[in-house]
Amino acid sequence: MIDDTFLEQLRDDARQLQYEPDDVMTTRIAARVRARVSEEAAGGVAQLLARWFRPVMVSLAALSLAAVVGVGWLELSPEPAPGLDAVSSSQTVDVSVGGDVFSVE
Amino acid sequence: MMSATSMFGGASIGSLALDRSVFTAERAQTRSATNEDPIEARAITAVKAGDAGSYGYLVSKYTKRVVSIAWGIVRNAADAEDLAQEAFVKAYENIARFKSGEPFGPWIYRIVTNLGLDLIKHRKRFRHEEITDAAPAERRDRADLPAITNELAARIDHAIQSLPEMQRIVARLYLVEQFGHTEIAAMTNLTEGTVRSHLSLARGKLKEKLADLHGGNND
Repeated sequence: MIDDTFLEQLRDDARQLQYEPDDVMTTRIAARVRARVSEEAAGGVAQLLARWFRPVMVSLAALSLAAVVGVGWLELSPEPAPGLDAVSSSQTVDVSVGGDVFSVE
Repeated sequence: MMSATSMFGGASIGSLALDRSVFTAERAQTRSATNEDPIEARAITAVKAGDAGSYGYLVSKYTKRVVSIAWGIVRNAADAEDLAQEAFVKAYENIARFKSGEPFGPWIYRIVTNLGLDLIKHRKRFRHEEITDAAPAERRDRADLPAITNELAARIDHAIQSLPEMQRIVARLYLVEQFGHTEIAAMTNLTEGTVRSHLSLARGKLKEKLADLHGGNND
């Protein structure tokens, strides 16, 4: 049995050997812990935002890539579609005024 | 003031073995008492909900005891301060694993004890010092020991410091910090039987050294 009188008496006497940090040390520890915890908390918010924004950014990047590829494909096409000028110049519009019909190009 | 990193010569305290201490702490919580401090319980709930400001209550409540435990292991005020700081930060980082309703004390005591033990192991491994179990503590004592004016206390302190490392740590937690066997076992990751064994061996040596103070009729 180790919980004997000797140990108990020693325990009573040894209690006074507990280390007592001074107020400066306790204040410093509290301040440093507060600073580290604030960093952690800020980091946590940033990570949360990053988790939400990352898929959005990936989707936007994929859309951009698709757009670039699409434009590139159109530009490389051998027979480009006719422009507005070409369409308008190849067609005539008939306008009827006072019984007369005019053809406008 | 030494930073946590400088203490370890480049390795951070957290990287050494905190996960182990936190996990064992988690397991040990199942046999802990319920939290009887309603303010503490509320603070823990608030911190878990993201209110970092509420952590200040826990820090202010436990700082002195945590520093005392750390100092008993490393016997150096600067290291004890760094260990205490690191223990509180690690506890905060792992607060989600902490069971609501349990007292915070045993958990933070266990974390700081494990950090202290890891620091000692790290020093032994990487500093290549030729040391006896008690030598590092004795060396630091001279520079950093708070004034123990009481002769009886000084004798007891010297006797405890002369013990081999684990006997010294267990004896200090039992005699000075007033923890019970079960608490010490949880804090040090030892079995209760091993704690009793260390304490029994320590008792024999202390009795020899302090026979004139406490008599020798309790065998």
